[in-house]
Amino acid sequence: MKTMKGFAKAASLAAVLMVGGGTYAFAKEVVLTMAVPDWPPTRIMKKFFDEQYKAKTGNTVKLVVDFIPWPDFYTRVNASLTSGEKKYNFIVSDSQWIGAFVEGGYYRKINDLLDADPEFKKTFDQIHPSFLDAYATYPYKSKNYYGFPQFPDVLVTYGRKDVLCDAGEQAAFQAKFNEKLPCTGEEMDNIDWKTFEKVGQFFQRKKGEKLAGKVLEDDFYGIAYQAGKGYDFSSMQINGFIWQAGGDIWDETKVPDGKAQGVVNSPVAVKALDQYLSLIKYMPPVAKTGTMDIFKTDELFREGKVAMNVDWIGLGEASLDPTSSKVADKLVFGMAPGTRSADGKMVRWNNLGGQPFVLTTWTTEEQTREAVDFVKWWLSAPIQHQFAAGGGQSAIKSVYEDPKYVGYRPWNRAWATQLDWQKDVWHVAPFFDLLTQQQDQFDLAITGKQDAKTTLDNVAKYQENLLIEAGLIK
Amino acid sequence: MSSLAVTASRPPFISLSLDNWRFALVAGIIALIVSVTLFPADVSFWIVGVFAVLLAMSSVINAYRRQYYGGLLVAPAIAVLFVMNIFPLLWSLGLSFFAYQSSQQTIRFVGLANYIKVLTNDLAATANWNALINTAMFVVLTVAAQMIIGFLLAMIFAKQFPLRRYLLILVLTPMMLSVVASGVFFTYYFDPTFGILSYVIGNITGEQFILMDNKAGAVAGIVFADAWMWSPFVMLLVLAGLVSVPKYLYEAAAIDRVSAWRRFWTITFPYIRGLLMLALLFRTIEAFKLADMVILLTKGGNDTMTISYHLIRIANEQNKTSEGAAISYLMLFMVIVLTNLYLYLANRRQQGA
Repeated sequence: MKTMKGFAKAASLAAVLMVGGGTYAFAKEVVLTMAVPDWPPTRIMKKFFDEQYKAKTGNTVKLVVDFIPWPDFYTRVNASLTSGEKKYNFIVSDSQWIGAFVEGGYYRKINDLLDADPEFKKTFDQIHPSFLDAYATYPYKSKNYYGFPQFPDVLVTYGRKDVLCDAGEQAAFQAKFNEKLPCTGEEMDNIDWKTFEKVGQFFQRKKGEKLAGKVLEDDFYGIAYQAGKGYDFSSMQINGFIWQAGGDIWDETKVPDGKAQGVVNSPVAVKALDQYLSLIKYMPPVAKTGTMDIFKTDELFREGKVAMNVDWIGLGEASLDPTSSKVADKLVFGMAPGTRSADGKMVRWNNLGGQPFVLTTWTTEEQTREAVDFVKWWLSAPIQHQFAAGGGQSAIKSVYEDPKYVGYRPWNRAWATQLDWQKDVWHVAPFFDLLTQQQDQFDLAITGKQDAKTTLDNVAKYQENLLIEAGLIK
Repeated sequence: MSSLAVTASRPPFISLSLDNWRFALVAGIIALIVSVTLFPADVSFWIVGVFAVLLAMSSVINAYRRQYYGGLLVAPAIAVLFVMNIFPLLWSLGLSFFAYQSSQQTIRFVGLANYIKVLTNDLAATANWNALINTAMFVVLTVAAQMIIGFLLAMIFAKQFPLRRYLLILVLTPMMLSVVASGVFFTYYFDPTFGILSYVIGNITGEQFILMDNKAGAVAGIVFADAWMWSPFVMLLVLAGLVSVPKYLYEAAAIDRVSAWRRFWTITFPYIRGLLMLALLFRTIEAFKLADMVILLTKGGNDTMTISYHLIRIANEQNKTSEGAAISYLMLFMVIVLTNLYLYLANRRQQGA
């Protein structure tokens, strides 16, 4: 074996000398493999890369992208990482996963790369702090950096102009609630959960009744938001309710003194969850089965079954497309509903969405060099503008503050104004454990099997237990 | 007796002969211990691998020289079985005695703690027992539905009637579909807004109908979808039994004017009993592992969590590998006991008959 290897080495050396002649370093091919969810924001990135990217080093850089369907995404990435196959250099990662996979030794810390490259650092500092904290840091809000925004996202309200702005409906709403039915984007920005509830109550119509002057062929509903058992399809909305009411989830930045008991199930949080649950009765009946996730509400909205839907921007492209949306020409967008505090100010805390992408620890130095160049290119203003114009979002300050930005997509008017109000759910290693138990409990409440207090008591008890075991609560 | 004459004699233990598998075994074990203690995992893996290959080679040469051709012929099958089945089984059995999470780099021996946790811990054990009870319920309901529907279908298709061949293909289609495809199909079928079921019932009763908003409905939905997919499988097996019944027995019975019930019970049933038992065994084992339909239709909501899905969440999503291993070993134990009980009963019946 040894002689064979020696021979191979000598032969390859000879080949290099003959071909290269030792006079110039010729371009190498560097392959970067990436695991991404299969949806427009990642498809666009791949397209831009193939069409436009030229490596500064002169190497031929290839981006091999594994497009994985969303429902499988976590399982596939988790299996790839934990099995040790070391397949991917880049991973588009939900922000919650960072802790688990940093602790596992899979995600590469990038502080050294930032320190070594002032230009890179400058770009990095342009990221809005909410996203920087959520997408890059572990422990949350520390100075250890791991990720870069791939597709940043927030919740917005999708509305149907034809229904909301109809003169008859406007007058009827005014008469019933002594309040104007929100119709324009600005009016929708002003919606709090109380108005949202009224919209839900007002537009709940049976088949045969009239909606905006037309007889309905099917039941119609006023409002929808995520209330599904799968993945994080209720926590992402409930967290917003709890924060807006002044409550909190277990706060990982307070390790090891922050408790779950008494915080997670505080009276304020219970009241907030109650409010979340009280709106479900105005939603399409699938909510009662516990399967109304973000994709279902989106589908219901596109099929014209609801007047307003609170959902991620990431799902928005399909609603603009007449081939997949019956309401494509009737859209209006506003900020996600907030809660009005005692002094009349709107509190808009919400859970941010979207995904960063991260580097893995087994990426070689050569690959890392190319990867950093790629990230710098990706986060550069021209590409971010193109991305936003093609349906993506940008967390880079100079980009989203540019007056052009608002014109790219109808929901962009609700983007920059919401960023300061974004927080994120836990990034700790046992996040999936915390998440599944919480989702199970929320599902019981959503489907009417138990009340808000019992639900949050169970969640708090489980979290306290688990986090003490994990050493995160003293 | 000529083969015995040419059989080579066994080599002495310390000789460096190519067929000295005993020496290779001992050397392999020593190499295993030494390399695991001295080298990092990725190096010792290859060292042990080389010795495993040496051992395999010497065993093969030994078998060839001693003319153990039978053993030689089954060796590839056994090797594959060992690598793909037995080794992972033993490995996960080992893991179930450690505190190990696949997403972390530490491992610690904890003895029976994982088993104690999954059986007695007030949070973990309740979830496990609950999922197990649900699984038992699904086993009984889905298998009963499939056996009855499959059997009735087979009785229909055993007769000749027009378009029989085309209908048979149609009836067999669900079995060939991917579970995900039929799962998605049924989510729409049961959907209260888009689904035909709620539409039809809603039109008849005038009330809004939501099938999946309670446990009974959700279970019914899952059982229906599962029966839709797998009844054709039972039908296929039973049909094979039905066509094997000799015609002359029926003719003789007709002459004796035997009642239809008796004809079925004394002629048809004995021929299909074995195949029915086989279908029952297959479907019970499959039903015990039910997870796909549950994931697709309810995500375990409305108290439809099964032990398999629960296990997937623990082992594959939450990365609690050793806890998952402990649960799966308890499950394996249960399946083995049940299968043996079943085989024992089936055999006793056969002897009694």
